[in-house]
Amino acid sequence: MLDIRQVHKAYATPQGPLRVLAGVDLRLAAGESLALMGESGSGKSTLLHLAAGLDLPDRGEVRLDDRAISSLAEPQRARLRRERLGLVFQQFHLVPSLDVLDNLRLQARLAGRESPDWTARLVARLGLAGRERHYPEQLSGGQQQRLAIGRALAPRPALLLADEPTGNLDETTAGEVLALLLDLVREAGSALLVVTHSPRVAAPLDRRLRLSHGRLGEAPP
Amino acid sequence: MRGRALAVTWLVAGWLVTGLLVGCERDPAGEPRAGFAGLGTDAGGFTPVAPEAALRFPEDHGPHPGTRLEWWYLTANLRDAEGAPLGIQWTLFRRALRPPTAPAAGAWAADQLWMAHVAVSRGADHRVAERFARGAGQGGADEARQAGVIADPFRAWLDDWRLESRVEAGTGDALDRLEVSAEAGRGEAAFGYRLTLDAQGPLVLHGKPAFGEAAAGAGGPIYLSQPFYRVTGTVTLGGERLSVSGRAWLDREWGNQLMAPWHHGWDWFSLHLAGGRKLMVYRLRGEAATDTTLFGSWIAADGETRALDGEALSLTPLATRSVAGRELPLRWRLTLPEQGLDLEVSARHPNRWMSTSVPYWEGAVTVRDRDDGAARGEGYLEMTGY
Amino acid sequence: MSPLGVALATLLSHYRRHPGQLAMLLLGLWVAGALWSGVQAINASARDSYARAEALFDADLDRLTPGDGRPLDRRDFVTLRRAGLPVSPILEGEVTTASGERLTLIGIDPLTLPGDSAFASPGADGGLEAFLAPPWRTRLAPETLAALGQARRAAPGATPALAGGQRLPPLAPTPALPPNTLVMDIAAAARLLERGDGLSRLVVPADTLATAPPGYRLVRAEQRLAPGELTASFHLSLTAMALLALIVGLFIVQAALGLALEQRLGLLRTLRALGVPGRTLVGLLAGELVLLGLAGALAGIASGVGLASALLPDVAATLSSLYGAEVGRTLRLPWHYWLGGLGVVLGGLLLAGSGVLWRAARLPVLGLGQAQAWRAGFQRQLRRQALGGAASALAALGLWAWLAVRPPGEGLLAAFGLVAALLLAGALWLPPLLAAALDGLGRRMHRRPLLQWALADLQLQLPRLALAMMALLIALSANLGVGSMVGGFRLTFLDWLDQRLVADLYLRPPPARLDEIDAWLAERPEVAERLATAGGETTLLAIGDAETPRQSVALFGITPGDAVRPGWPLKATLAGREAAWRELAGGAAFVNEQLAIARGIAPGDRLTLAAPGGDERLLVVAVYPDYGNPRGEVLLATPQLRRRFQAPPGSLGIVLADGAAAKPLAAALRSRFALDATALRDQRQVKRLATGIFERTFAITRALNALTLAVAALALLATLLAQARERRRRLAPLWALGVPRGRLVRVQLAQLGAAALATGLLALPLGLAVSACLVDTINVAAFGWRLPLHVFPGEMLLTLATALGAALLAAALPSLTLWRTPPRALLAEEAP
Repeated sequence: MLDIRQVHKAYATPQGPLRVLAGVDLRLAAGESLALMGESGSGKSTLLHLAAGLDLPDRGEVRLDDRAISSLAEPQRARLRRERLGLVFQQFHLVPSLDVLDNLRLQARLAGRESPDWTARLVARLGLAGRERHYPEQLSGGQQQRLAIGRALAPRPALLLADEPTGNLDETTAGEVLALLLDLVREAGSALLVVTHSPRVAAPLDRRLRLSHGRLGEAPP
Repeated sequence: MRGRALAVTWLVAGWLVTGLLVGCERDPAGEPRAGFAGLGTDAGGFTPVAPEAALRFPEDHGPHPGTRLEWWYLTANLRDAEGAPLGIQWTLFRRALRPPTAPAAGAWAADQLWMAHVAVSRGADHRVAERFARGAGQGGADEARQAGVIADPFRAWLDDWRLESRVEAGTGDALDRLEVSAEAGRGEAAFGYRLTLDAQGPLVLHGKPAFGEAAAGAGGPIYLSQPFYRVTGTVTLGGERLSVSGRAWLDREWGNQLMAPWHHGWDWFSLHLAGGRKLMVYRLRGEAATDTTLFGSWIAADGETRALDGEALSLTPLATRSVAGRELPLRWRLTLPEQGLDLEVSARHPNRWMSTSVPYWEGAVTVRDRDDGAARGEGYLEMTGY
Repeated sequence: MSPLGVALATLLSHYRRHPGQLAMLLLGLWVAGALWSGVQAINASARDSYARAEALFDADLDRLTPGDGRPLDRRDFVTLRRAGLPVSPILEGEVTTASGERLTLIGIDPLTLPGDSAFASPGADGGLEAFLAPPWRTRLAPETLAALGQARRAAPGATPALAGGQRLPPLAPTPALPPNTLVMDIAAAARLLERGDGLSRLVVPADTLATAPPGYRLVRAEQRLAPGELTASFHLSLTAMALLALIVGLFIVQAALGLALEQRLGLLRTLRALGVPGRTLVGLLAGELVLLGLAGALAGIASGVGLASALLPDVAATLSSLYGAEVGRTLRLPWHYWLGGLGVVLGGLLLAGSGVLWRAARLPVLGLGQAQAWRAGFQRQLRRQALGGAASALAALGLWAWLAVRPPGEGLLAAFGLVAALLLAGALWLPPLLAAALDGLGRRMHRRPLLQWALADLQLQLPRLALAMMALLIALSANLGVGSMVGGFRLTFLDWLDQRLVADLYLRPPPARLDEIDAWLAERPEVAERLATAGGETTLLAIGDAETPRQSVALFGITPGDAVRPGWPLKATLAGREAAWRELAGGAAFVNEQLAIARGIAPGDRLTLAAPGGDERLLVVAVYPDYGNPRGEVLLATPQLRRRFQAPPGSLGIVLADGAAAKPLAAALRSRFALDATALRDQRQVKRLATGIFERTFAITRALNALTLAVAALALLATLLAQARERRRRLAPLWALGVPRGRLVRVQLAQLGAAALATGLLALPLGLAVSACLVDTINVAAFGWRLPLHVFPGEMLLTLATALGAALLAAALPSLTLWRTPPRALLAEEAP
């Protein structure tokens, strides 16, 4: 369902162009989970942003559901994100002015397919029962990330993209959040692409790839 | 007697109902319909008109402020030095707002209204002016007023529009010799006249028609005419001063209630016929033919007067023309079987519309024999309520 | 809810968590809308009144007045009518209502009144007959009913009593009439005013008469100034002040919007990431603007009407005392007023919000704004502001140069443009100046770490504070400028009153008794001098040998006696004061400053004036100041004026001998000649009346100024409140480092106080420049007189204190919350 072919990407910096991706190929089938590993600055997040259509490659092609993202106009890419993708960020990016429940339902509502049963189940599974009317800043870090995961999964996306989902959490919490993430992805039937530098996070996933010097290679299990 | 009277009554009363404030030519919406323009309304509180037998001159040439309505109404058929016909009109109306009470509340207080119309017509040219003034019944019409009438020596005026006796005291009726003058308009549009009128016969008293209880008989209005004037003088029109001469007819009338409720207009004729004879005829129009009243006076050259009614005369419109947006009968057939007269009376020119606060048609007519088309005389026609 | 609705609700949810920002936005819109629409409401009402006054029956008619100044009466009317002249009589007077208000009463003769006058409007009950005949009718504008204590519904037909006990004829409300005017038949008016045969004037249709009939003078309609023209400058000033308030209000709006956007940048990016297209977001933000704008503008316009109702009596008083123009004291608003107000406020909002929308539209999905980049952006903005300020200053210079070569009294709009350019230049220069000052100071303070931090921190705050400070600067400068102008005017005016009011008693007897009273006074030992005046009106025909457009001028006669000469102020003379007075007594003339400026008359010019006995040529030997007089005036010695222009006598000033008391003489005069209260006044009374009028005249100016300043202070407060939470977060590390909270609060107050003080200092020269503009150009153009520029150190100190006070007051609330925040909470308040 996600098909990345020979993607190149470089950024202009005051010190000259910075090559981040140099001919990356990546395929992900429906329901499959994949860990994208690499050092800081190796271009993991850039690849994720390209996959989400948040950014466009200089060369090469990103295809989602057999459609080339680069050929889509911005509103269509936005629609694709809204309806097909879920995004989980390291910094959570919750909406501070919405309460827990509204944050959770936000993307599903934007996609126009909110399911009360699934939302209720998510609240319970995320351990946020009783805190629906709290605001994000009143939650702990782990709770905030669980909420961000729930928000991404609420519309049951075909593909969940997670960027260091446990990067801001302590080890215990990280473990709990990860387990929950995998559980829920399975329940939702989504494919999963996780960007992480942590082998612990990568271990339970179907596949692991490592990005270094702009190219992908198999990562050790 | 009623013809001229009703025409003018309609004018004066209509002026008050529809006049100044509401603009011209508008129907008095919402007014209860009591005769045309409210003329059928009761005239409560005013002095009853004295019987004809009690007429005294020169006093009765002056105003009768105790009655509701009164006028001095002059028309003349003139010719200039080239023999081209022209006509003039000079009228002064008085209306009492209420029965006069003594003393009037201050120098400005008004219980009488004065209205004057002046017109000069020649061919297509028809000039009209209108003025108003306030007056008071008590305290007399002294010279220090904008408008008024004094019986002796006779003077009637509104502003500088004047009708004055030129008879030397004690040498005859005050109206036997008159001077009339008026000026209006400015620049190119200025018009006016100064005329001397000499009566060739006596004052004439008209009879009273029978069409309704209230207006008939004793207490009804008095209608007098001096139809025998010979005229000389000058007329100003279109930047020219013209020497003129011809005939004039003066009407006097005063009274309180003057019209039956069902009447809504009239056609009135004052005609100078060959041999010094005069004919006054009017038709009072109602909704139905039976509501129409026809009345007139046959006046011999010596002033002997015979009242005419619907039996003695007949009046038929022959053709109409559109004037000022209205269909007006400008050609008439007039028959008086007893005199063996079958006449055709037609307007000299259709454009004689009086665009005054209450509009009407007033203009010169010619009289011809219907059989041979020979000229039989001339005169004036007034039509209202169209 | 549709996805669009969800996105909008999410955007708006920001205000639920930050109601302060919403309040600030609405407040800005509200005050901007209220002040602007309030003043517009006043202008609209006044214009309506003028329009009705101009439509009144005799506004476009020529007038006939007796050549010899004798009173007119009915005989004049009848004589002229019978001579064929289409004159109509008007009787005008004043009546006092039971509640003490004075109303103009006009008696007319509808039968001779020419043309389509306001009177001839349909709808009055009973028509002509009811109007003409007892009990007559009183026609009046509906808003005049209040003065008679009548409710609108019950008014038709009511016969309210006047102060003297007489009753008015039944009322007939007529909307087309001007306010405070009663119109009735001349018979009814003569009775109420007890004027018998008397008349105020005779009118004729414009241009019917080529010349006046013998013994009369003809005053053409076009020679009389319509109130609308006279007062245009006053309304322009009001509009300028309202515009100032609107701009200050929009400053608040812009600040609030910027803040609300900045705090929602993350939210916007999140929404983009969640699949809301960028264009949709911009559209939604625009929608948010319109929603807020409608709410704020509607509230503003509604309160503007309230404000206008509160200010209108003052405005009406001003207009009536300064220009003699009657304006209704209740509002009459045309429909376009509402739409116009809404349009201006919404337009202003969109203008203020366009920057925000532009930034939102260019927001990248990724690459969150870096502080450094943003700092560079602010530097760029400072440079742009400095350049813009320079451009404004250049524009101001250009306008000033242009105005300097114009004849005095012209270029009112350009003068307002000059003031605007000055204010704009000052406002634009303020942030760069503050930034430079902070930079320079910060470098010198490296020894005192807390001070250095405070300066650096203030620099960081500057972008947000800048707008509020600019608003404050504009308000302060305008306040100082207008305050100095009014204060200077006041001083000059009081001086001038002292110089002109030299008599101890002022007597205005009935003209018929004047000679008798004068003779009696001549015999009294306590009377040192009698100063007879006379007044009249004529037409200025030519200056020198050049014919001029005909203009009606007032004539005034004074007695150039020993009491008058030394003090009477003169602005320019031909050959010195002594000579000027000598020549005045000998038949030369003075002209007032208004006339001199308007027509370019200088001492030495010869004026040709229309006079009953043929044109009079007069040598001008001096120009004198004449504050508060809307008309051009020619001054002559009273005997000259009475003889050459057959002018009627006016008041009589009585100068007492040394040591004589005014009271016994006044009492003697009153009892001997049965004078009423208004016929005899002492000097103190006259001065009190004049100063009272002066104070009321500028009440509206002061009120608007104070309101604008209050708005600016509010802007500052709102800005500070809006960023209070963030400020606390910045202060937390300092607290953690061991700076006590009390000291933090003081540092905060000091930061703002210093910034405000700097603003105030900049406002001083700016305010003086504004004042100079007002005094030098705008007053001359608007009123026709030039005042000396006064500098009031007290006023300047007050400006500084106001700036400081406003800033400290605005900082106090955030500081108080900081003071009361538990220390631990400072650190807990982390960025979400």
